[in-house]
Amino acid sequence: MLTNNNKIYHRKKIMVLTIACVVMFLLLFGRLIYLMVWRADYYSQLATDLHERERSIKAARGRILDRNGTVLADNKTVCTISVIHNQIENEEEVIRVLCKELDLSEEYVRKRVEKYSSMERIKSNVDKAVGDKIREYDLAGVKVDEDYKRYYPYGELASKVLGFTGGDNQGIIGLEVVYEDYLAGEAGKILTVTDARGVEVEEAGERRREPVAGNDLYISLDRNIQTYATQLAEQAMATKEADSVSIIVMNPNNGEIYACVNVPEFDLDNPYELPEGTSDTLTAEEKQDALNRMWRNACINDTYEPGSVFKIITAAAGLEEGVVTPSSTFSCPGFIVVDDRKIRCHKVAGHGSEDFVQATMNSCNPVFITVGLRLGVDNYYKYFEQFGLKTKTGIDLPGEAGTIMHKKEDMGNVELATVSFGQSFQITAMQMITTAASIINGGNRVTPHFGLKAVDESGEVVESFTYPVQEGIVSEETSATMRSILEMVVSEGSGKNGKVEGYRVGGKTATSQTLPRGSGRYIASFIGFAPADDPQVIAIAIINNPQGVYYGGQVAAPVIRQLFENILPYLGIKEYNQ
Amino acid sequence: MTTRTIRKSGIRKKKKEQSEYFFDYSLLFIVLFLLGFGLIMIYSASSYEAYTEFGDAAYYLKKQAVAIVVGMAAMIVVANIPYHFWERFAVLGYVVSVILILLVKTPLGIEANGARRWIRIPGIGFQVQPAEVAKLCMILFLAVMVCKMGKSVRTMKGFFLMMAIPLPIVLLIWQVTNNMSSAIIVMAIAILMVFVASPDYKKFVIAGVGVVAAAALLVFYVINSDGSGNFRFARIRVWLDPESDAQGVGFQTLQGLYAIGSGGIWGKGLGQSMQKLNFLPEAQNDMIFSIICEELGLFGAIAIIVMFIMLIWRMMIIANNAPDLFGAMLVVGVIGHIAVQAILNIAVVTGSIPNTGISLPFISYGGSSVMFLLIEIGLVLSVARRIQLKEL
Repeated sequence: MLTNNNKIYHRKKIMVLTIACVVMFLLLFGRLIYLMVWRADYYSQLATDLHERERSIKAARGRILDRNGTVLADNKTVCTISVIHNQIENEEEVIRVLCKELDLSEEYVRKRVEKYSSMERIKSNVDKAVGDKIREYDLAGVKVDEDYKRYYPYGELASKVLGFTGGDNQGIIGLEVVYEDYLAGEAGKILTVTDARGVEVEEAGERRREPVAGNDLYISLDRNIQTYATQLAEQAMATKEADSVSIIVMNPNNGEIYACVNVPEFDLDNPYELPEGTSDTLTAEEKQDALNRMWRNACINDTYEPGSVFKIITAAAGLEEGVVTPSSTFSCPGFIVVDDRKIRCHKVAGHGSEDFVQATMNSCNPVFITVGLRLGVDNYYKYFEQFGLKTKTGIDLPGEAGTIMHKKEDMGNVELATVSFGQSFQITAMQMITTAASIINGGNRVTPHFGLKAVDESGEVVESFTYPVQEGIVSEETSATMRSILEMVVSEGSGKNGKVEGYRVGGKTATSQTLPRGSGRYIASFIGFAPADDPQVIAIAIINNPQGVYYGGQVAAPVIRQLFENILPYLGIKEYNQ
Repeated sequence: MTTRTIRKSGIRKKKKEQSEYFFDYSLLFIVLFLLGFGLIMIYSASSYEAYTEFGDAAYYLKKQAVAIVVGMAAMIVVANIPYHFWERFAVLGYVVSVILILLVKTPLGIEANGARRWIRIPGIGFQVQPAEVAKLCMILFLAVMVCKMGKSVRTMKGFFLMMAIPLPIVLLIWQVTNNMSSAIIVMAIAILMVFVASPDYKKFVIAGVGVVAAAALLVFYVINSDGSGNFRFARIRVWLDPESDAQGVGFQTLQGLYAIGSGGIWGKGLGQSMQKLNFLPEAQNDMIFSIICEELGLFGAIAIIVMFIMLIWRMMIIANNAPDLFGAMLVVGVIGHIAVQAILNIAVVTGSIPNTGISLPFISYGGSSVMFLLIEIGLVLSVARRIQLKEL
């Protein structure tokens, strides 16, 4: 029994103990109020961030259309079929249906259906029709997600210009990369609530942010010209058993490119498939190298020695500087001695006495060396730079190669002499045609380009692309002289195979031996423009390592002639006698 | 012995004076309410994990229900045995506690969640946590000692003797089972019992201030020490700033705070917790209070706290009216056990003190815990039944 005396202090102590406990509880209670009222928003937000999983909805990528509105790159809806293990009710049924509809082995499907994971992908890039059919079965645990896949209606057409996209619909090469920001659009989001393992909590619903489709890109390419140029290039490659053929067709007045062909092209819908005949035993690295080679746009990514076509530049510089006039007379003995070096003309017997126009028609090396030497290293270098040859063209394609040229201080007369007729330095084909275009168009250095405008979903123009033009790189007078000289080259000179019935065509041929010299490999090329008095279109054909006859005038000029025969009427350029 | 009942408060009972003995139904109902509430919350907090882990949403619920049924049976038996019966087992209980704790190191010990704290009783496959046994035995042993020592408790020597009694058990629990929280609870129970037994305040105030100062010093030391060191230091550092190690030591605390904070005033509704979906470790166990906060909000949390306050208040009344010092001390021990554990649990869950594994009495999942708690309630009810109403 508690004695009364004891009782009092024990009771008091028990009371103190109890009250102390109550006080502690009240303090904790205060702490709870702080956490659940004042800090509620903060912790709720953190918890929501933790619980919500973001699933992005791909935005439809903008299309690429040619100058006439023909769609060159489009999207098709494809489906991704996946299964969620936890939600499957009838495993056998799911396996049976998926095997049947997707044409997959039972073993493959069963392994994935029975795998205990949050979401298992069965097959992606499934046709929408098949996806819809699977959706109609309404199987629990089978998810059909729609997705966009890039699709190129014309397959190989302009493959190295358009480029293709990767798994996330991002541009990998070509225009798809350069205009990525316009084409990509903005991905949407689905926010779903999941448990800690990432399994969706069905009843929690979801929040969405709709994707914004990318802009359509209109480019200067003309599908018809591109198609025809591709056919010609393939033909030339086949008949001449060449390694490759490139053709560029451009508007010389503004730099818009109508066609840019590099055969062999590759299939844009299967860009990772190497051409037939490639060894199957490549290492991953070798395979990547082979792919990169296949994807290269030779007109822009590779440089070459332009050869005699480059005499256009030497002539323009000489005329502009006044060291030569069309009527200046020269004599060609078949060679010329520069310092201690004897440089031969392609005609061993020599062209004899000729004026400058005739020398150009004959593509006479000693005459152009003479003109180059008259200009001198300083002047020649000045014009080289003034014509824009030292800088890149600024074309809207990735990986443009720069010019490989002697340093001015290393240039002696021998180097100057070789440069004068287009050897011992390298430029890209795009650089060559752009410079030629700028000389014959009245002296305005244009920027070659494809992109014209970006248009949004509703057809509104988001941006019209403009490109710099450098005016007065040669005088209008020099430009006119060049046009008439080059017209003479085609009408009566070495380029007469480029002649088109009913049209005034100007042009220049070239046959350059590739390095190392004496290998027997040549590059035959021809640059042509029409009408010669008022150029509306300029084109270059480059045939790489043709077999048999390899002269530019005989191999490349006919390609441009056939091209012009078709596209000049198509472009609405009237015959001169009409 | 006939039992007549009065449910009303003690003061009212005085006036009625109609029955000889007293059975505290209020206490029983509070306990039953907490148990029932605990079962609902265990089901709510664990069903998702139980389903994904064991394919049975009621896995934890069933195990807990079995433990509660067994515990209730034990409680009824103990409540009907006069509590002086247990006096003779005090020393035996102390020895058994020590043996059971040491058994953890033998092959009978069971390791779970990286700690070896359980033993399996051979034959029936029943698991028990020796620390829970030790808590009950410590209450009994100290109550007996207080009565044995009589007035010598008041001397300095008595005080130190009383404080020394629990130390072997406390050290064993701490070191052998590596369970600091149970060690703290046993020590706290002992201190509270000695506090009640001794008329002195000064010693306890000084000791209290000393403990607070030591804790402050430790925290200060931890803040200024470099990042390495043992995991308890890390826990203290993380307690001060849980977000500094959100994926490591601070993970559970932070996940608990997410649950509490996102509950708000009204809660998300029963069963609507997000954090229980495998985000919050031990959701049905040590952290169940945070799920209660998330689902039932501030008001659910208040209800639980109020129930604990009422429980302690009822037991205080029983202790104050106990027929003898032994009975009073038993009840004080149980008050200490439940109060300390509930307060520490809520303090941990709300991030008020460094994280350590303490379950919420009657509500958290845990068979041993709830069974021994019910036996303790049986003791309290047994003491209550000895209250002669005319004494009041």
